[in-house]
Amino acid sequence: MTFFEEQLEQGIFQICYCNKCNNTIWPPKETCYTCHGKTSWKKSSDRGIIIEFSKKNSTYFGVVEIDNGIRILGDISSTSPPEIGQVVRMNVSFRFKPNYSFIVENN
Amino acid sequence: MSKVAIVGTGQTKFSKDDGNVEELLFESADNCIKSVNNYDSNNVDGVLVATNNNSKYLGAILSETLGIQPKISHSIEHLCSSGTNAIISAYAYISSGLSQMVLISGAESATNPGQVLEWDKSRGNFEHPIYWGSILTKSHKRKFETTDEELAIVSAKNHKQAMDNPFAYSNQARTISEVMNSKQITDDLRILDCSRSCSGSSSILLASEEKAKTFSDQPIWITGIGQKTTSASFTKNILEEVKSTRIAAESAYKMAKIESKNIDVAEVHDAFSVCELMAISELGMTSNDKSGEFVRNLFNTENRMINPRGGLIGAGHPLGATGISQTIEITNQLQGKSRKRQISNAETGLIHNMSAAGTSSSIMVLQN
Repeated sequence: MTFFEEQLEQGIFQICYCNKCNNTIWPPKETCYTCHGKTSWKKSSDRGIIIEFSKKNSTYFGVVEIDNGIRILGDISSTSPPEIGQVVRMNVSFRFKPNYSFIVENN
Repeated sequence: MSKVAIVGTGQTKFSKDDGNVEELLFESADNCIKSVNNYDSNNVDGVLVATNNNSKYLGAILSETLGIQPKISHSIEHLCSSGTNAIISAYAYISSGLSQMVLISGAESATNPGQVLEWDKSRGNFEHPIYWGSILTKSHKRKFETTDEELAIVSAKNHKQAMDNPFAYSNQARTISEVMNSKQITDDLRILDCSRSCSGSSSILLASEEKAKTFSDQPIWITGIGQKTTSASFTKNILEEVKSTRIAAESAYKMAKIESKNIDVAEVHDAFSVCELMAISELGMTSNDKSGEFVRNLFNTENRMINPRGGLIGAGHPLGATGISQTIEITNQLQGKSRKRQISNAETGLIHNMSAAGTSSSIMVLQN
């Protein structure tokens, strides 16, 4: 497992950024895509906004933008239909693959 | 630089049943060889295979089974656009003079590993294409007020057109109502809005200008090529755009010295209904907000200029073979050999093939 996956397994989404040019590197990598400098980690704020969503059976899923423009797909929990731009809280885990879950805040 | 022509084509019927990739490749390649005048295996100095299959050394295996000992032989994988990527690679070999005549064969079994891109960590648990298909559809509906009926027309049109394609996996007509009431996959996708992964194979033979007339009475010329890869991760897309298609189209039009209005017939990559609407907009044939109306008009007037063989939705989607079958359709159209599917007086045709939610696009312009 990679460091990113190990951290997901512990419920932590680590953001990868370049020490030299400060760009966010997604998907995470030890070397910056732009300047090829070394990268480091910092924990996500675990907050995001809904960019787009749909629903399969009773589960909402969608694209959510978290820290520094990183966009990921996950399930969205909400007591009413989600809305574009709504703020969500993120929970993560890892079992063979990443799992991202979002809960609409101020439900 | 040599001009490059399509001089031979061959296909197998697409099927929902699984198939052996080596046998599928042989079947379409054998059909292709038999379509060529004065065929001599000694003239084929390149054999390229397009597939997502995990079998190894397929270029050499296909060469041996066909009795060819080429100079250049290898496989090419680029998910759903493996086929056009192989054709464009063969074009480059011939135009550079490294090769004179290249056989390109694409094949897939129905249970191929090319449907899921495991590397893309941004998809989380939502790896299957239906999820990005749903998100793109929802976004199109939201931004451009596209209706469910307009989306269903894409599928109804392509199923109808596939009825006259003997190689399509299904020859069943579907009404707009049947599409709209078909099994719901998500809130934004019905099963008949989705192309189906299936088994099948298609092959094409390219030749240099010097060789073309020897092997075909009606060589079809590749006059424009454009390719662009913007990312591999789905979530790096701007949801209402297919930027890779727009950039690739600009390159292809410039090379062919044409504009979108000059295209008589096109095969576009309708992985899902919404993809056809997005493609025709990015190709400059219409605008996003009028794309539904554009397709409705085609359907109502029985104009087959977009996806005459039924597209991916109507014909099926054996990933590595898809781009080659699209190219064969446009070749046949420009040769006037498409029978019931024929677009009258077609002189310029376009192929649009893309991968992984449009993160990569390949476009070719063909002329007779």
